[in-house]
Amino acid sequence: MATYERHYCWSVLLRLFHWMFALSIVFLVVTGFYINNPWTNTMIEGSASFPMATMRYIHYIAAYTMASAVLIRLFLYIFGNAQERVWDILPISKRNINNLKMTLLQYSYISDKHDERLGHNLLAGLTYLFTFFAALVMICSGFYMLFPEVTLLAKWGGILFGSQQSARYLHHLLMWWFMIFAVVHIYLCIWNDCQEPEGLISSIFTGAKFKHRA
Amino acid sequence: MADTLNKMLDPQLNRRGFLKGCTMAAAALGLSETMIPKLVEAAATAERPRVIWLHFQECTGCTESLLRSSHPDLARLILDIISLDYHETVMAAAGHQAEKNLHDTVDNHPFILVVEGGIPTKDGGIYCKIAGKTAMDILAEVAPKASAIIAIGTCATFGGVQAAAPNPTGSVGVQDLVSGVPIVNIPGCPPNPVSFLGTILHYLTFKRLPALDNLNRPLFAYGRRIHDQCERRAHFDEGRFVEQYGDEFHKLGYCLYKVGCKGPETFSNCPTARFNDVGVWPVSVGNGCFGCTEPNFWDTMTPFNERLPMVKIPSAGIVASADKVGKTVLGVTAAAVGIHAAVGIGKRIIKGKKSGDA
Repeated sequence: MATYERHYCWSVLLRLFHWMFALSIVFLVVTGFYINNPWTNTMIEGSASFPMATMRYIHYIAAYTMASAVLIRLFLYIFGNAQERVWDILPISKRNINNLKMTLLQYSYISDKHDERLGHNLLAGLTYLFTFFAALVMICSGFYMLFPEVTLLAKWGGILFGSQQSARYLHHLLMWWFMIFAVVHIYLCIWNDCQEPEGLISSIFTGAKFKHRA
Repeated sequence: MADTLNKMLDPQLNRRGFLKGCTMAAAALGLSETMIPKLVEAAATAERPRVIWLHFQECTGCTESLLRSSHPDLARLILDIISLDYHETVMAAAGHQAEKNLHDTVDNHPFILVVEGGIPTKDGGIYCKIAGKTAMDILAEVAPKASAIIAIGTCATFGGVQAAAPNPTGSVGVQDLVSGVPIVNIPGCPPNPVSFLGTILHYLTFKRLPALDNLNRPLFAYGRRIHDQCERRAHFDEGRFVEQYGDEFHKLGYCLYKVGCKGPETFSNCPTARFNDVGVWPVSVGNGCFGCTEPNFWDTMTPFNERLPMVKIPSAGIVASADKVGKTVLGVTAAAVGIHAAVGIGKRIIKGKKSGDA
């Protein structure tokens, strides 16, 4: 039987980031779909129901939560622990490039070998980095649409996105990335948990992973 | 209504109409009523600014909307406060005489240049020629000598309908070709004459152009979003929408968001300045905003009855709605996940369980 050691992996701040990010995505997608294509039709005038206003309100609360989460992640990419810093997941060292190769081989069932590593594997880390940038684009386009008359946002939004409509289009298309990401992310977490029992899923609650004693 | 005929035929603008026009422009500019006398004074000076009005690739709709307003005061006021030396639609001169007027003004006097229409640039600009010269050449000759340029209409500002993909003539707006001369963009298809008049009067009164946004549009007219000034906005917030044109909700005057109104993406004074002196604008008569004051609106705002543009799949020639593409990609991803899981299970069945696995 294997013997395991408990290794502290994710800081409280990273776990907070993860759940802020995850929950905000759920609320943003649901309310975002409503805002794009409101499926209710109130019909009763003078009523006290504000479905669109309510959905937009929830969308903005979730949006500020996501923006805060992204700021936390940015801080952790630079000042986090060894697993959380950005160079731990960039293919810039021999160790990292090797991990990327081994992960690709393992994910495509060509090899059974699992590269022992406490933090993210490279494939996951790079996908998270891409999602981080996607979230930045969502935040920029979102604030551009929310405050179109603020001179600074009007100027930079115009330079980055061209027009409100282009920003909205990009905002909507990129939303699908977050849904696709969620499907793949949850699947691969379960898959990895089956392949290599190290407490991967519980680590995002407890912060600890379990590794074989050397 | 009694003297409509008389007014229509009377070439002179009466005092009442003159003051009314100045007041409308002051209101559009957001000026205090105490500024109106200054505006009137500036508009009444003997020295009328010379204006050259160039037509390029366009439908003359901007000129038409200016001249054929139900109430003639506005057009007359504009024609009264400026000296229109060259305007292909309304000038009396023709042929060499017209050309002479143009060159006289360009060479000898300060003038304001108004451009209506896009400028084709492909194949040396041969797709629009006037008096044997391409639009590009005419603009290059006239524009550098102008004291200011007003690009009127979406064609002159952003290229307009002829610049829509694939833009066969390489049409562009004035600001893409001219630099070094102050340019004011007054986009719209057509723009409100009040926005044009406001810009002219601002220039006459304060001797400088009005404050502009990042697309060089005057902030007094294009500083605010249509959606935020719309009279149907309450229906939007309370979730009452027209489901399709002509339905019961349409008759009740509900929000046109679901039939593709581009008010949330469009900046213009249409809901407040309104058109044709009878207080209407597209949304007030039950048609969603098309977003005609925004760059590339023929590409980004179409289909006009949908919220978002269609997605073009490169090289496949397929055009589909954003959500349909998203659902397809998400479905493919879910299928790939399923196949990946099935392969893993299959492999495990064939190879047997590894020892030590839980």
